[in-house]
Amino acid sequence: MNGIRRTVWSAAAVAAIALVAVACGASSSPSGTTSKGTITVGGFNFPESDILAQVYGQTLAHDGYTVNYKLELGARSIVVPALQSGQIDLYPGYAASELEYLNHGKGEATADPAETTSKLNTYLSAIGAEALTPSAAFDGNAYAVTKATADQYNLKTLSDLTGVADKLVFGAGPECKTYKFCLPGLTSVYGLHFKNTLVLDTDGPATRAAFKNGTIQVGLVFSTDADLQQLGLVVLQDDKHMIAADNVVPVIRTKAATNDVTGILNKISAGLSTNDLFTMNGEVSLQHMDADAVAKSYLQAHNYFS
Amino acid sequence: MVTETMSLLEHLWQWFADPANRQGSDGIPTRLGEHVQLSVEAIIIGALIALPIGVVLGHYGRFGNLAINLSNAGRAIPSFAVIVLAFQAFGLGGGPIVFALTLLAIPPMVTNAYVALREVDADVRDAARGMGYRELAQVIRIELPLAVPLIMAGVRTSAVQVVATATLAALVAGGGLGRYIVDGLARNDNPRLVAGALLVAGLALATEFSLSALERLISPRGVRLRRHPVYQPLKIV
Amino acid sequence: MAGGVFLDIVDPWINWNWLSTHIPTVLAALQQHVMLTAIAVATALVLSIPIGVVAHLWPAVRVPTLGALGVFYTIPSIALFALLIPYTGLTGTTAEIPLIGYNLLVLVRNVVVGLESVPPDVLDAADGMGYRRFARLVRIELPLALPAMFAGLRIATVSTIGIVTIAAVIGIGGLGQLILKGLIENFHTPLVVATILSIALALFLDLSLAGTQRIALPWSRKQ
Repeated sequence: MNGIRRTVWSAAAVAAIALVAVACGASSSPSGTTSKGTITVGGFNFPESDILAQVYGQTLAHDGYTVNYKLELGARSIVVPALQSGQIDLYPGYAASELEYLNHGKGEATADPAETTSKLNTYLSAIGAEALTPSAAFDGNAYAVTKATADQYNLKTLSDLTGVADKLVFGAGPECKTYKFCLPGLTSVYGLHFKNTLVLDTDGPATRAAFKNGTIQVGLVFSTDADLQQLGLVVLQDDKHMIAADNVVPVIRTKAATNDVTGILNKISAGLSTNDLFTMNGEVSLQHMDADAVAKSYLQAHNYFS
Repeated sequence: MVTETMSLLEHLWQWFADPANRQGSDGIPTRLGEHVQLSVEAIIIGALIALPIGVVLGHYGRFGNLAINLSNAGRAIPSFAVIVLAFQAFGLGGGPIVFALTLLAIPPMVTNAYVALREVDADVRDAARGMGYRELAQVIRIELPLAVPLIMAGVRTSAVQVVATATLAALVAGGGLGRYIVDGLARNDNPRLVAGALLVAGLALATEFSLSALERLISPRGVRLRRHPVYQPLKIV
Repeated sequence: MAGGVFLDIVDPWINWNWLSTHIPTVLAALQQHVMLTAIAVATALVLSIPIGVVAHLWPAVRVPTLGALGVFYTIPSIALFALLIPYTGLTGTTAEIPLIGYNLLVLVRNVVVGLESVPPDVLDAADGMGYRRFARLVRIELPLALPAMFAGLRIATVSTIGIVTIAAVIGIGGLGQLILKGLIENFHTPLVVATILSIALALFLDLSLAGTQRIALPWSRKQ
């Protein structure tokens, strides 16, 4: 049975080659120096989250921890359960959004970061995690119009939209219809009733495309987006303080929250500013630099906040 | 884990029963309609392009290798990438999505049409020519009816895959049943996610069955009784 | 409107500068992609042989098995990936289970078709020569079913490569991560590179398998 033997040998050869190829490419084992422990950092699927995860992660690595990354995971519905089950130890959250996710949209967040974070911690303790000290760096919902629309109706604040909202189309992501600080907030606090509301993506390429081709005139963006000016968008001021405190705050499993680790993370949060976010976002989104490279030069410039 | 699954099933039942999910711009009829529209447009345009090409190539027996390997090559094209590329090139809306879906639908139909025409018995062709049929008449009145089963199998394969791939439209802000899956994932709404998956699977199966029935209907009786060639599955999503 | 054209002015389709500085990233994504594909196809291949044999020997099993696998086949991968997360987490397993399931339909079906296509004369001859049932299966029928199995293997491999790109939506790596990066950052290059590599990988593996079949089974040339 020559044919069968040949088949078996050929299959074995192919398998062997494949195995060798895979093995050769496999990541190298860690170096000999002992590490202070292993921490897995997670992140959402937008560039700023990559950047923040790298900023926190690289500082921990600089201090002697072994850091693994699980980035671009998706929305909170993937990230938070991953934290709960221990697949990630830490992720850079936004205080108000984390709270409203865990309390199923009750609307408990306020414009005050400290108050919002302490409420957040009552929910996080139930899943074995905690939020550290919130940073001054803020990246929350922002409602923008095209410059043409702003000029046409003389719009500077969200209150200015009352009265003209029914002539305009609004676009946001899937969670906007039910998120208190999105469409419900615009309706209840500002009395806005748009001509139509389109479900696009949460500050993603679809929203941008919709702005560009005039499908929407008002849309949800995030306040530190780098390309707002390039897109010709004007953010309307939240004069009635509807938007809640989406300050950057590390969310970490209690098991991983040693004094050393929390000390390091808090120092970073203290040094991080909204402008830093804006600058780094620009480098990644506009100049196509890598998040880890951008985080590295930022940290080196600040001497790793040590 | 079992209790979670049971509660998910209960919530799923409630989701389908909820009147809010049965009407309006995010209701089942609307999303189903959007999905069907995207799919039908892609299949019809794809068929209008693919079938004539396949039939002509098959009749003359030209470019055989290309035609036969086209469906394999088509399988190699990543559908997710094509939809995103179309979105980046042409922007928002149903048009770019239909364009991407049409591209993905064409290969299996060309291959099947080609093979179908090739399989027409040489004797039959000779007999037709002997009887005085001119080229076009020969194709339409003799060869096509014999080729119908295999051509329809190709249309059926494409159609089921177009219906499944149209799900990805939701990733580039498109409509359709994929919206339930993508939104369910974003909002941590598992009943919505499962409902979307079930609806798409159901629509794909319905497409498969209805096109099989159509195929039996339009196949000439004599051809229907012949042994059906092996069905090549296609999955790209 | 001109929304799409606007984007072109901002970014060329291939930014060679980015590409030349990101070769390691691209290769890492490619390697992950190959791994995910290889595991899915190899596992399904190993499982498909016993399942296919059972389905062939007991017709009562065949219809429900192929039916169940067929229904599974119609469920879009993105839904299955998302649904498995609560059970299998953010690991490669979450991606592999649906992929293996899809490949099982193709491979099991081809094992069955392959076994069915063994000419009855050959079976008679084997029986005449004294082969017992199991020996006949392993030494006569399965080898003759190999061409069909190879065909199924090629289809499964090429399909898997495309579906693995979708796993990026739940954070599993591979070329899909480059596609997602391109989508989210409005950046053409990673998207174009991932598309080209995905097609190239599929064609390469398809031709390799075809070549392997020619070497191993020269008698099955005209299939």
